Amino acid sequence: MTLLALNVQNLRKVYPNFVLDGISFSVEAGQIAGLIGRNGAGKSTTLKSVMGLIASEGAVKVFGKDFGEEEGTAKELIGYVGGGFRFYPNKALSAVAKTVARFYPHWDGEVFRRYCDEYALVLTKKIRELSEGMKIKFALALALSHGAKLLLLDEPTSGLDPLSREDLCDTLLALKAQGVTVLFSTHITSDLMRVADRILYLSDGTLLADAALDALIGRYRLKHFADLAEADAVRAIGVKAVKGGFEGLVEGSGEGREATLDEIMIHLEWERRKSHEIAHK
Amino acid sequence: MKSLISKEFSLCLHPTSIIFLAFAALVFVPNYPYEVIFFFSGLAVFFTAMAARENGDLAFTASLPVKKRNVPLARMAVMMMFQCALLCLTALCIVIKQMTFPQTMLVNLVGNSANLAFCGYGALLLGIFNLMFFPLHYQNPTKIGVPFAIATAVQFALIGCMVMLRHLPFYAPLTSPDPDYYGIKLAILFGGLTLYAVLSALAARLSMQRFERVDL
Repeated sequence: MTLLALNVQNLRKVYPNFVLDGISFSVEAGQIAGLIGRNGAGKSTTLKSVMGLIASEGAVKVFGKDFGEEEGTAKELIGYVGGGFRFYPNKALSAVAKTVARFYPHWDGEVFRRYCDEYALVLTKKIRELSEGMKIKFALALALSHGAKLLLLDEPTSGLDPLSREDLCDTLLALKAQGVTVLFSTHITSDLMRVADRILYLSDGTLLADAALDALIGRYRLKHFADLAEADAVRAIGVKAVKGGFEGLVEGSGEGREATLDEIMIHLEWERRKSHEIAHK
Repeated sequence: MKSLISKEFSLCLHPTSIIFLAFAALVFVPNYPYEVIFFFSGLAVFFTAMAARENGDLAFTASLPVKKRNVPLARMAVMMMFQCALLCLTALCIVIKQMTFPQTMLVNLVGNSANLAFCGYGALLLGIFNLMFFPLHYQNPTKIGVPFAIATAVQFALIGCMVMLRHLPFYAPLTSPDPDYYGIKLAILFGGLTLYAVLSALAARLSMQRFERVDL
């Protein structure tokens, strides 16, 4: 039986202008899963709900531990990076790290120092003296130093330069080799193409796709059409005007070229928007 | 909880929490409304909550391996440690004052005299502040000013009542220097301390419940 690192059932959060609509998904132990979706799709809400930072309905289990009943123990297994480290700007990195270390029985000071060296983090510096990219690295160093078995990363690569993003992807792959599970949200899909095993695609609070990366990429082809009638004939998905005609996704492995994750996202989103418009009319 | 309290000291505590402890020495000022000592304690809580908000402390702490509902409890426990320290320091200053000041300077003409009963009033004022401020603040941690304004308004209304009572004839025994009328003063002291404990426990319970429903 497959060990689930994270099992989320009917996660629901209602805001005045947004509903995370009872989504369910799971991430197998040792997998790297990417949570994608446009801005405001509910990626951060999902991760924060999983961490219990926002009050939402639903059940969350981390390595079989029920978050509601064993919150502290479940969180010990998680390394959470909610974007850049925007806390305690006037405190030195060493002071924050020392405090964080007290909360984790498996904190490894040697590992922390290694990551600090790798990321060129100067521990005597204050948080406010770090660039956005360095803040993310500091948050990552903290998350990676307490033996977390599940990493929840909210847009960890968005403030990083290309080389640092590459380094982070390498780190994630190395952690995966050690059996660490990763769920990270991003809108930089090229990072996912590098490392992800699984894609969770959120659109407007709804889980639109939950599939292995290869299966999702293999499910659609991108096809160019001269006119809309041609697109309708093959029931193309998310058809939109482009230079010199129209483009849309077609299911199957026949016509067109392989679609990238970005293209799949764009056309599925377009299709959803069209369906909404039709429903409203 | 130990780690949470330790985090409060290392990352959150505002210096005024320590500085305002020195205000216990205000009992040495002749003819002064000594009750304001306990208002300054509330001000220290306000500054600490403000610093915590600016530092993003609550979201950070809740992401650590602790129960979310324990986050306000740790902050309140630390603030209550300082409140208890303030009460003890005030009592110590009162003892020193009573041992060193001439008898004529021990009766406060503008408010309650600094004696055993006064420590009971202080405990009550602190308990009232806790009950008013913390549950309102933890219902929406971005709000600090409104809970503080409400808590201090109630505190000052109570201080006003205490100061007015002091001028009524039947109240004379309670403004006397110690050890006169020890019995009734002790009863007021223990009554105040009991109320402080009850009101603070209630404040903690409400704050924890409300904080669990907060989105960070």
